[in-house]
Amino acid sequence: MLQRVEEGERVTVLDVGPALPETVAFFSNGPCTLHIADLFSALPLPPEDAGFAYSEQFRALLPLPRNTRFDICLFWDLFNYLPAAAASALMQVLRPHLHAETRGHAFGVHKRGAPEDSRIHGIESADTLSLRPRRQPLQGYAPMPQAQLQTVLADFRFERSVLLGDSRLEILLRLRQGETDLTL
Amino acid sequence: MIGPSIHIKGTVTGGEDLLIQGKVEGTIDLGDHEVAVGQSGKVTADIKAKTIKIEGEVAGDVTGSEKVVIAKSGKVRGNIVAPRVTLEDGAIFKGSIDMDPGDTRTTQAAPRVEKPVAATPASTANPGLDLKHG
Repeated sequence: MLQRVEEGERVTVLDVGPALPETVAFFSNGPCTLHIADLFSALPLPPEDAGFAYSEQFRALLPLPRNTRFDICLFWDLFNYLPAAAASALMQVLRPHLHAETRGHAFGVHKRGAPEDSRIHGIESADTLSLRPRRQPLQGYAPMPQAQLQTVLADFRFERSVLLGDSRLEILLRLRQGETDLTL
Repeated sequence: MIGPSIHIKGTVTGGEDLLIQGKVEGTIDLGDHEVAVGQSGKVTADIKAKTIKIEGEVAGDVTGSEKVVIAKSGKVRGNIVAPRVTLEDGAIFKGSIDMDPGDTRTTQAAPRVEKPVAATPASTANPGLDLKHG
């Protein structure tokens, strides 16, 4: 996923986590536009029945320029804290900003009972992630079963899943070429 | 220097380095000089300069022709354009960073720890940072 970065190609990256020094340093080694959204700081999202559609919430949280197309989306474990409807809404908001070669990275769970891993993720190097303890615990940990997550992230196919300790899954995502309407 | 009790609304330009400890709203353009936003500085403005160091709060777009540094006490919401950007541990940032180091590649000064995959956390210089292979 990070091969293009290592080869010095210009990449556009979405990091939904908080800004971390090591992630900025990693991407600063080459030409890059790094969008740091820290969607975790907005959790838990107000429920839709409170009058705020998830899609509108994400549009407000992700004020992206119209012509932005992400090569890499770093979702980390965000989907473990979102209702399925919210995750679908995030995909809807991101869809115009993806392209045929977009790759993604996420953490899911193999079993819904998998314990929460309350750490912040960053990129130390192309094959090493950094993990930091969260300063404050997140609310709303409710991971989706893998099958449901695949349905919610229908724009992506699960290119590779790696079973980690505690029944966690590390998932590499790739946009389904030719199957997703990417028009604005 | 713009002192802690000074509040400026408008355009700030000049031919020398500037330290902002007060409040500035508008635009700041110091061309080939340095802008430092001190810990008590609160800037709601776009900033252009050669080097920009932020220890206070900035809401606006930040363009550094050489580098931009967000210090550990810094809070920035906006878009950064610079060949090199350094984020110190503890800094808060939301927005986009457009970097193109070209020939001015640099290494990150933030503390780092190397640790084997999935190993029990060892005693490190930075106990808050754990590493895993992705």
